[in-house]
Amino acid sequence: MGTLKKLLKARSLSSAVFLAALLLAVGAVNPSFLSPSNVSACFNTSVVYTLVAVGMAFTLLVGEIDVSVGANLGLVAAVVGTMLRDGQPLASACLVGILIGVVIGCINAWGVAVMGAPSLIFTLGANGVLRGIVYLYTNGAWVENLPKGFKDFSSVTAVGSLTVYFCAVFVLVLAIHLILTRTRHGRYFAAVGDNAQAATLVGLPTRRIKVLAYVLCGVLSALGGIIFCSRIGFVTPMSGNGYEMKAVAACVLGGISLLGGVGSVIGSAIGAVIMASISYLLVFMGFSSNYDNAITGVILIVIVVVDALLQHRTSKRNRRARLDARVSMGGDIR
Amino acid sequence: MRARLRALLAKGQASWNVMLVSLLVLEFVIFGATNPKFLRPELLFTSLNDSLPVFMISLFVTFVMVTGGIDIQVASLVGLTSITIGVGWQDFSLPIWGAVAAATVLAMACGALSGFLIAYCRVQAMVVTLGGSFLYSGIALLISTLSSTESYQGIGGFPDEFKFIASYRLAGVVPLQFLIYALLLAIAFILLHKTTYGRRVFLSAVNQSAAECSGINTRLVIMSTYVLSALSAALAATVLTAYLGTAKSDLGADLTMNIITVVVLGGTLSTGGRGSIVGTMLASFVMALLRFGLPLCFRISTQHLNIPIGILLVAVIVARSVSAKGLGLTSRLTKLITRRGGADPRGGDSQERGGQRHTREASS
Repeated sequence: MGTLKKLLKARSLSSAVFLAALLLAVGAVNPSFLSPSNVSACFNTSVVYTLVAVGMAFTLLVGEIDVSVGANLGLVAAVVGTMLRDGQPLASACLVGILIGVVIGCINAWGVAVMGAPSLIFTLGANGVLRGIVYLYTNGAWVENLPKGFKDFSSVTAVGSLTVYFCAVFVLVLAIHLILTRTRHGRYFAAVGDNAQAATLVGLPTRRIKVLAYVLCGVLSALGGIIFCSRIGFVTPMSGNGYEMKAVAACVLGGISLLGGVGSVIGSAIGAVIMASISYLLVFMGFSSNYDNAITGVILIVIVVVDALLQHRTSKRNRRARLDARVSMGGDIR
Repeated sequence: MRARLRALLAKGQASWNVMLVSLLVLEFVIFGATNPKFLRPELLFTSLNDSLPVFMISLFVTFVMVTGGIDIQVASLVGLTSITIGVGWQDFSLPIWGAVAAATVLAMACGALSGFLIAYCRVQAMVVTLGGSFLYSGIALLISTLSSTESYQGIGGFPDEFKFIASYRLAGVVPLQFLIYALLLAIAFILLHKTTYGRRVFLSAVNQSAAECSGINTRLVIMSTYVLSALSAALAATVLTAYLGTAKSDLGADLTMNIITVVVLGGTLSTGGRGSIVGTMLASFVMALLRFGLPLCFRISTQHLNIPIGILLVAVIVARSVSAKGLGLTSRLTKLITRRGGADPRGGDSQERGGQRHTREASS
């Protein structure tokens, strides 16, 4: 357990180091990048990704996946955007948005945790249905003319050039991280993801934890949808399309295993910052944005392959150590 | 009723295929009765043309999913192949078939790279092919910048011998691309169900260490399935490019969900070890007719088609997992009873499946 814990710590630390190295490398190529406003812009643009990625991290931690987050975000953004445009108060719009997130989370949880459907396939279907509902709701039209105050709030800064949104999300992620690692109930998530049968045997409410993970994922994606509205200022029927893959990529970059049980939400948040800022960084490096996807893909593949090779080596070494111990023990008995 | 449905679902692939066939018949009856236009052969074939890339690729993604993997990069390989054909032909003045060959080799190399990382470096298939989908669509975009044509316009004006793929119709009705699909179907069926290679694909998923011990190079087998799916993506992209008449880097970008849906609907387990080409073929027809029939007969806009199709996918997957759960429990119970009675625990079909489940659980 001690080594595992160290490994986890090292993993989210190494993604933080990677992010810092990335920022410094860009600064080395183009010194004008290293101003507070430019660096904090990287963090400010990552807010929506971070929320979705942290939601995704919950489902990945319990050993499942939720690829309906993109359509979830799109639907919430469309509904909240429409309500605000029609002059409804902000509080009720947000409440409705979060309720939608809860309902979607419950539906996914019902399919995956209660009926036992494979999570990737079930949420893929849910993604299709939700995207269809977005088209149905908006009639394929854009939601525009959101209240100016709501849009302008996205650029209000709290600390230095960091926006209120980023600071709020930062605090939220930190709180989630502390709950997940420092409280007994928080650690249930990783326990279920690591070995669901063992978790059931020691008396953890496995099913309830999976349901909770999906509901939290739905709520965080809904929050992402609300902030998406505010930051972008308009909603298209395709808003949020592809976010699910970016969120998975962010979690993987941050060291969360798709097999469940391994990783931290801090890691996924750092991964989200990397994912969100690559296109911004490329501009400073003098590349065109055409390189976006190629470089994202290379970074993702290199990191997971190196990670897998390292892990394979560690597990091999541990196994050899165990075997050696058993052999020497056998010698003692003889 | 519920028990009967459960029994039907549990009996395995054969009765699953029967269910898919009855779904197909149902579609023909309902759509045909609502709008007789639906039954016109030329209209039917034209509508199926739109779904042909899904038809072709899903055959070989079945191989990947039988090994317990998943391939979400094929859609990006379609775009990559298409733009490589276009740029190779227009800007590097390759002969058109030379460009097609070069693009196919490139796509297969991409498939081989992902397959290598999955099989030999033991990275999860989902993660590698996710990275692959970013990387290969990125490369496709970069290749499109090599062209003198703006990337959003697409490269057109292909010679007639290339467009022939899409324009020729056997006996004036059956399109040539459909015959290509029939050929691929036959190849995939024989390869997966009638050859040693196919058996190796199945065994590599059911119990990798047992397969390894019986002298099968499981890593090579697993890697090869990704090369096959990439090859099918390249073929589908060639046909699609000829059909549309333009080469674009983002061609087929939205195919992923359809392909996975078809393969799963066809009865392939997403955990591997179980699957059939016939099932995939039937499921792709069910989906394609749904996509064609709903707008034609019930005036459902194509934008809203995701709703019924998504509901179908969700319903199927829930029904299957519920029946599998029941099956797992009963087979485990019978196993326990037969073992106590001293009888051979590996008797019927359902028990065999239960046994497979156990070995997989033990090996993972």
